[in-house]
Amino acid sequence: MESIDAMNFGAIARKKLNLLALMVMAAFTLSAVPQAVLAQSGEVVQAATAEAEETLVTEAEAAGFDYYGPEMIKGQPTSSEEDLWKSMNFQDQYTETGQYALWMHDAILIPMVFIISIFVLFLLMWVMFRYNKRANTVPSKTSHNTVIEVIWTVIPVLILVVIAVPSISLLADQYETPPEDAITIKANGYQWYWGYEYLDNGGFEVISNMMPESDALDAGLPPQLAVDNRMVVPVGVPIRLQTFGADVIHSFGVPSLWFKIDAVPGRINEKMLIIEEPGIYYGQCMELCGARHGYMPIAIEARPLAEYNAWVQSQPGGMTRAQIEAEEAAAAMPAPAADDTVEVEGVRPPVSSMEDAPIAGEARTQDTSPTT
Amino acid sequence: MATTAEGFDAHHEDHAAHDHADHKPAFFARWFMSTNHKDIGTLYLIFAIIAGIIGGAISGLMRAELGAPGLQVMGDVVNFLGGDGASFDQQGHMWNVLITAHGLIMVFFMVMPAMIGGFGNWFVPLMIGAPDMAFPRMNNVSFWLTVVGFISLLFSLFVPGGTGMGAGVGWTVYAPLSTTGSVGPAVDFAIFSLHLAGAGSILGATNFITTIFNMRAPGMTLHKMPLFVWSVLVTAFLLLLALPVLAAAITMLLTDRNFGTTFFDPAGGGDPVLYQHLFWFFGHPEVYIMILPGFGMISQIVATFSRKPVFGYLGMAYAMVAIGVVGFVVWAHHMYTVGLDVNTKMYFTAATMVIAVPTGIKIFSWIATMWGGSLEFKSPMVWAMGFIFLFTVGGVTGVVLANGGIDDNLHDTYYVVAHFHYVLSMGAVFSMFAGFYYWFPKMSGRWHSEFLSHVHFWLFFIGVNVIFFPMHFLGLQGMARRYPDFTPAFSYWNEIATYGYMIMAGSMIVFFVNIGYALFAGKRAPGNYWGEGATTLEWSLSSPPPFHQFETLPVIEDHHSPDDHISEKPATA
Amino acid sequence: MSTLTLETRNKRTMLIAFGMALAMLGMGYAAVPLYDLFCRVTGFGGTTQVASASDAAMAERLAASAGGVSYSIRFDANTSRSMPWEFKPVQVTDTVAVGQRDMAFYTARNNSSVPITGTATFNVEPEQAGRYFNKIQCFCFTEQTLQPGEEIRMPVLYFVDPAALDDPNMKGVEQITLSYTFHRASEADKNQS
Repeated sequence: MESIDAMNFGAIARKKLNLLALMVMAAFTLSAVPQAVLAQSGEVVQAATAEAEETLVTEAEAAGFDYYGPEMIKGQPTSSEEDLWKSMNFQDQYTETGQYALWMHDAILIPMVFIISIFVLFLLMWVMFRYNKRANTVPSKTSHNTVIEVIWTVIPVLILVVIAVPSISLLADQYETPPEDAITIKANGYQWYWGYEYLDNGGFEVISNMMPESDALDAGLPPQLAVDNRMVVPVGVPIRLQTFGADVIHSFGVPSLWFKIDAVPGRINEKMLIIEEPGIYYGQCMELCGARHGYMPIAIEARPLAEYNAWVQSQPGGMTRAQIEAEEAAAAMPAPAADDTVEVEGVRPPVSSMEDAPIAGEARTQDTSPTT
Repeated sequence: MATTAEGFDAHHEDHAAHDHADHKPAFFARWFMSTNHKDIGTLYLIFAIIAGIIGGAISGLMRAELGAPGLQVMGDVVNFLGGDGASFDQQGHMWNVLITAHGLIMVFFMVMPAMIGGFGNWFVPLMIGAPDMAFPRMNNVSFWLTVVGFISLLFSLFVPGGTGMGAGVGWTVYAPLSTTGSVGPAVDFAIFSLHLAGAGSILGATNFITTIFNMRAPGMTLHKMPLFVWSVLVTAFLLLLALPVLAAAITMLLTDRNFGTTFFDPAGGGDPVLYQHLFWFFGHPEVYIMILPGFGMISQIVATFSRKPVFGYLGMAYAMVAIGVVGFVVWAHHMYTVGLDVNTKMYFTAATMVIAVPTGIKIFSWIATMWGGSLEFKSPMVWAMGFIFLFTVGGVTGVVLANGGIDDNLHDTYYVVAHFHYVLSMGAVFSMFAGFYYWFPKMSGRWHSEFLSHVHFWLFFIGVNVIFFPMHFLGLQGMARRYPDFTPAFSYWNEIATYGYMIMAGSMIVFFVNIGYALFAGKRAPGNYWGEGATTLEWSLSSPPPFHQFETLPVIEDHHSPDDHISEKPATA
Repeated sequence: MSTLTLETRNKRTMLIAFGMALAMLGMGYAAVPLYDLFCRVTGFGGTTQVASASDAAMAERLAASAGGVSYSIRFDANTSRSMPWEFKPVQVTDTVAVGQRDMAFYTARNNSSVPITGTATFNVEPEQAGRYFNKIQCFCFTEQTLQPGEEIRMPVLYFVDPAALDDPNMKGVEQITLSYTFHRASEADKNQS
């Protein structure tokens, strides 16, 4: 219940403070590079470094990338030993729609749940006390009362209307479509890992497997949630997150972002995501997908745009939007095809690392990422 | 008894004599070729108890596995079922097999047979004053189809189903996990078991509809039927309209799996989301199929032990009809995250919330029935009161989940598990125990121990709440359903839930001791052992009722209210 | 009371009940074509529309009065896991004026050592754009067979219906993603395995 107030009234003031604190933390993180390297399973960073040398990316930042350490984890379940109250509630929310939904849950639904349950419990207690055999030996024969029947029909209707209004507006908010320049990332669900395709950054795919539990513990990361390669995304800007299921239905769910969308074979789904703070957010596959359904976690690392761009360049085939635009301008005289008469031969095909896209029969836990 | 014809009275008072009414066939003919509604009802109840023991034992394995992070139990289960040295994937698969089996057993082989097959068969003919069901032989076929279906499901545990033995696809059997994602005959057997159970239920539903429409005693108009009969009637219609859709959907799964069709396979132009639409078009009415007979039983019990007529009888009956009707147009609230557009999601949010209204009417009418009554807290009544409270809790969390925007976070988490166990494991199961204690002496002729029944209630009440209440917290924190394992942050509440299971299991031992006591040492029960509050027709008969009852039909007269079919003279206001 | 015997009445009720069950069974099967039809008519689930050249010409005339509003179109390519093709759009995004016909290309390459027939499924996101996204010509209408190592370019000829501008649900939509997924055609699957 504390969070209601936080979200509702103090949200703006607190968010500014949080941002300051975060910047301090981010600075601290950057200065503590060795620690971060240790914290992250070392091979990822090394692999990225090695890979960067042989790709076309020559940007200086690409030489290495410092992933966030455990101190930047924002979205993960709270253990009861740590904070009993928090372990009984929703995770803190880091998207605007998530905060609205959390407010709706905490300020409208939870009171409704408790008031109705306690009211019914009270009525039951009262009849047990007042109308038991000893207290009331002669039962009444009343079996109708139109007024009361109308009341207990109309009042629930009114309660539902009160719930429906914010509920419908929450849905409308959640379905806001991403702007044209939103960064498009596609989460591909495989049995049993995720692949994140950066469609606006050269089309490379990051394969993300669960980190072995002992590695995760060594790195101070939550076991069964930590992954080898995180899904790095920019913070504060709209992301057009698309999902696709390569074999069976999976579901991309991140509790602290109030985000869940199924990855269905044969079609894509799309939803906008704007993460408000840099940090690590954990999620899991949320649709039964076979034997290792429980072992294909999601880890999102949200970074400021500049750091995101630097990360993109550290990936094989990864290009920032500016680079792509510059290259397009240099390579192609004709403007992008405007009608069907234009010959599209001259247009640059997107740089892609899709050759490594996983195919059936490959060892499933083996890291098929282009970065290794 | 004034309204019962003389011939019947004769039987009643002289049932020790071996006249026609009590002429029972020999053992094999009686129990394997039975056409007697009471015997078939007994068979259904015994079957449901056996299925419940198996389904409950499976949930015990699940709670044992979830007692702590890591995989502790699944390997042993695989080995126990004939594997040797289970691989990691086989353990994960075994988990999926167990959740699938638990769901299917509890839904199709425990709750439905007990509610409809057991209590429905036993008491619908008795309550409407009919000598038997309309189609006694079809009744027998229904039962044995269900049994064969159950055997088919159990058999699926021992044949390959993809990564390991058994069908690990969830009770929803979503394509393509159940088609291209599960190689081997296990899923075929599981689907076949649903076909058989479904066929049995459709036959049963037809039988109930015919019986209730055509075989009511003279004077027993629809608006004078006991609410339990109403509830079975509505349930039968839901079965009749919903189950064929499931049958169609799973038949298409079967042909997709075996005969190269592509109803749900995008490779041939099919759509896996269509399967979900079809499944939940059945699946949502199915949850009302499981709870409506419970509503009916609770109405009878609350009225009996308040010694008052049911408050708002017509409202109660038509609230059930309304729930049944609205239940058919809310299915996609099980599919909020599948990629529905915003208008669809808004519609299903609104439609789903509408169901809360008739449900609220029922809850408040039960309380109003008790209001002003003279309450006696016999065992059925305490179970009924437990039902009313816990069902309310499950109902309000249902309103939370109805909101499409909120469900985005809660979908497929333990919050959903907590919700549907509050309405089923506490709603349906509490009403079944209430009905069991209400009618057990009527069925067996012997008294259970009221003391043990109360002990059973309190242990069970505490146990299930300790299991399922913490699951709300786990769900809010984001713990996903159908996970054999979890990150250590979820340990605390999972451990508590596992302790809750132990309490619940202990209460079930009390239950079985109680049955054993009643059967072997219970006092003989008279015809109407609950006294003046019990006024439907089954109380006009002996306990147990004669093998053939109502050979001369009872007559319901004008002064009889829906709750009172046996009083001698017009009730004074 | 009816004059019919109980047995007759029971049989009649039973037949009506079985009739209802059979009707629902039929509805279950009918749901397959009906759902397909429903999706194609309403664009439910982001199903695109099929248009003729004359539809397109009319849309173009209508668009002239719409004042040159344009949408960004994103081209998305997926392959199912059993499909050893490399499949991608030639261009990731394009901008097209409402009502204007446009052509986009995808390339597909068979990376395996056997000929493979593929079929494509498709949808658009956001879903409400489905009913306005018209395809005049598409590789997804027919199966495609590729020899080992063969690469082809496949065109899609499409336009966005100007009616989109009048739909409040389309407000705020700036980019429409047209997504294709290539699957191994089921028959080919069987022949090879």
